[in-house]
Amino acid sequence: MPRRTKEQIELDNKEKEVKKAKTTKSTTKKTTNTGKTAVKKTTRTKATTTKKKEPVKKSTSKKETTKKSSSTTKRVTKKTASTKKTTTRKKAVKKQEKVVPVEYYDLPYRYNQTVVKVLAQTPSTLFIYWDMSDEDRKNYEKHYGEDFFNNTKPVLIVHNDTLGYSFEVEINDFANSWYLHVADSKCDYRIELGRRPIVKTEKLKDDYIYVTTSNEMQAPNDRILFNKEQKMVYFRNIKTGTVTEKPINTLSFITNMGKIYDIYDLYREIYKDENVEDIYDLKNPSSHPSS
Amino acid sequence: MQEKKGYVSFVLHAHLPFIHHPESDDYLEESWLYEAISETYIPLLTNFQKLVDEGVDFRITMSMTPPLLSMLDNKLLQRKYIKYLKRQIELSKKEIKRTAGDERLNKLSHYYFDRYSNDLHLFRDVYKCNLIEGFKHFQDIGKLEIITCGATHGYFPILYVNEKTVKAQIAVGVQTYERYFGKKPRGIWLPECGYVPEADKYLREFGIEYIITESHGILYADPTPIYGTFAPIVSPQGVVAFGRDIESSRQVWSSINGYPGDFNYREFYRDIGYDADYDYIKPYIAHNGVRVHTGIKYYRITGKTEFKDYYNIQWAKDSAEKQAGHFLDCRTAQINHLSNFMDKPPIILCPYDAELYGHWWYEGPYWLYILFKKIYYDDCNFKLITPSEYIDKYPEIQVATPCRSSWGANGYSEVWLNQTNDYVHRHLHVAGDRMCELASLYPNAKGIKKKALNQCARELLLAQSSDWLFIITNGTMVDYAKKRIKDHIGRFTKLYYQIKENKIDEEFLKDINKKDCLFPDIDYNIYR
Repeated sequence: MPRRTKEQIELDNKEKEVKKAKTTKSTTKKTTNTGKTAVKKTTRTKATTTKKKEPVKKSTSKKETTKKSSSTTKRVTKKTASTKKTTTRKKAVKKQEKVVPVEYYDLPYRYNQTVVKVLAQTPSTLFIYWDMSDEDRKNYEKHYGEDFFNNTKPVLIVHNDTLGYSFEVEINDFANSWYLHVADSKCDYRIELGRRPIVKTEKLKDDYIYVTTSNEMQAPNDRILFNKEQKMVYFRNIKTGTVTEKPINTLSFITNMGKIYDIYDLYREIYKDENVEDIYDLKNPSSHPSS
Repeated sequence: MQEKKGYVSFVLHAHLPFIHHPESDDYLEESWLYEAISETYIPLLTNFQKLVDEGVDFRITMSMTPPLLSMLDNKLLQRKYIKYLKRQIELSKKEIKRTAGDERLNKLSHYYFDRYSNDLHLFRDVYKCNLIEGFKHFQDIGKLEIITCGATHGYFPILYVNEKTVKAQIAVGVQTYERYFGKKPRGIWLPECGYVPEADKYLREFGIEYIITESHGILYADPTPIYGTFAPIVSPQGVVAFGRDIESSRQVWSSINGYPGDFNYREFYRDIGYDADYDYIKPYIAHNGVRVHTGIKYYRITGKTEFKDYYNIQWAKDSAEKQAGHFLDCRTAQINHLSNFMDKPPIILCPYDAELYGHWWYEGPYWLYILFKKIYYDDCNFKLITPSEYIDKYPEIQVATPCRSSWGANGYSEVWLNQTNDYVHRHLHVAGDRMCELASLYPNAKGIKKKALNQCARELLLAQSSDWLFIITNGTMVDYAKKRIKDHIGRFTKLYYQIKENKIDEEFLKDINKKDCLFPDIDYNIYR
């Protein structure tokens, strides 16, 4: 039987004392991020980009502060109908102190930070989100002029660090996230957020203004790796740590199954009547029970 | 005993998100646990016991996730489950009266009455409300291997933008397992089978030896595994990965010709919660009057028709037995074929959602029971095994890095990252970063600050549950899932500021600690 902590015992005792009090309101208020999609092709790159998420508010507008929006819990004092006047003042106060916290939360609209993050949705689709802090915005305006954000447009530069190439995608100031299709799976990607001038001014002479860089994210592999150069396979005894190498051509599994590098052959052999190429089209399960 | 040519390993993933509402009886979602206990967990335990009583040697592996363990151990939920059973018994009693004029239907009403009465007896009198101990017993006698999971089923391929949050999911998963089972888990079910190589070092740090991946987690590994999914691989960091067998998965899961679609099986979607007269059924459906499943279902799948025939328990059993025989024959043929080419016996790994067995596929636990009996008594060429036993027997394993993958639709992250739920991730990432910030700012907190920091860790973990994202994608109970994300991020953020401003509201902390009361031993320093 698992042991119970002091904290848990206290809670159980409290549970017996406290009378049932409904405190939670359902949160039906919609977040500002209503997904909208529009497909857009950039002429400068080989990537297709899907624009999404145009927040209701313009990113330049004044936003509610994180602290304010995330701390909306109120405390409601439960009025006691019959506070006896004969009781001492101290006791009366004590009765009024019985408070029921009412909880209501909405997600913060933004966190006022300069950030760009990349996630891999599939081997060929990256999801990128970003934001720029108010302080950084002011600094850019101070340095490049008040019209900086009107005179420049935001861009994402996609760096494929595995194959060593980069390309640029034009985005806009109404979006705060983007789906980006990439050509090469199993590669490390890094995204740079920057701005390109639309018009040059006295203060704005640069061709490109760097803002920030994302985490690095490897897009998953999407195929059996056909490494024909490989002559050996390595086995590790996980109990002893001993590593042994075996020449591929001595393994009966491979010799008998034909081409080692085509596992599809193996599955063709097993599933004679099936369309092997469609074998991964199974509707995979996921672990949830709602009925 | 004749040497076997190969092995089959069943892995059932038992998971439910943490749903605990001491503040109200109105949350329908709490009934997911009660349904799973009655339809899956108790039937599995009952069938395991039957096999033991009949002297059948079997092996099975189950992941029992930390939220599920926390709920099974929760006194309030145990009391509520008993209340649920009493209501079910009351309803089935009424059903016996209501169906008195129809012999076939009446027989089924009696069946439900007996079944729920038996559940009550087993749960309260036999297991003493402690199902965890029930499962632990089978682990202790060597029939069942229980493995762990991420703390709240957080999906690693998205969380690992901040690696410490993945580390914490693993650490708390292992810690919770030790709390209930008194030893370290050898394996872990990666939440949603979501694999990233970056997690390997943390898996090893906490003593995890093996993981389960989707088929292409192995097939697309680097370098190519020479035995496909029929043998495990070991990552350079030392984590052994077993891949899901495609053929056996399809036999069970396929929506077209999978076993659960047999015409004699119970029809999930015909329930008296929807079929019965509204005034009659009203006390047994949702508090707000919305019709929901009650668990009392009288029809069989019958065919591709709206006109359903009554469920016949014996026919359903006959089908389960026939299908168990088919599964056995298929595995025998598969292993015969494979063993000609392998220098060690192949392993066929069959992972499924535990709740498929009994909840979705009502006859599933019986099918398993019959199958395990057949494997034991029939002269077949394979044996049941757990992944641990397999790696102990065959420790020489090909070195390869599994492919980043999941068992969600299309095999990657689309279920947990798409246009319906992608707004959530920035909040999860910021909360993760803030938790690490708090842990590094206050490494030696004491008293109320320590309690608040530990509660922050609980709120973050609960927000990270992959279930909310899945539910949003799936389009059912969406409001509830969105509310849970808002609640946990909201509670976390509020506490974050209170801690930093040194103005912790004790009442608020107590209130949320009572609601989100899992992981009593958590230590926020895991985020350092």
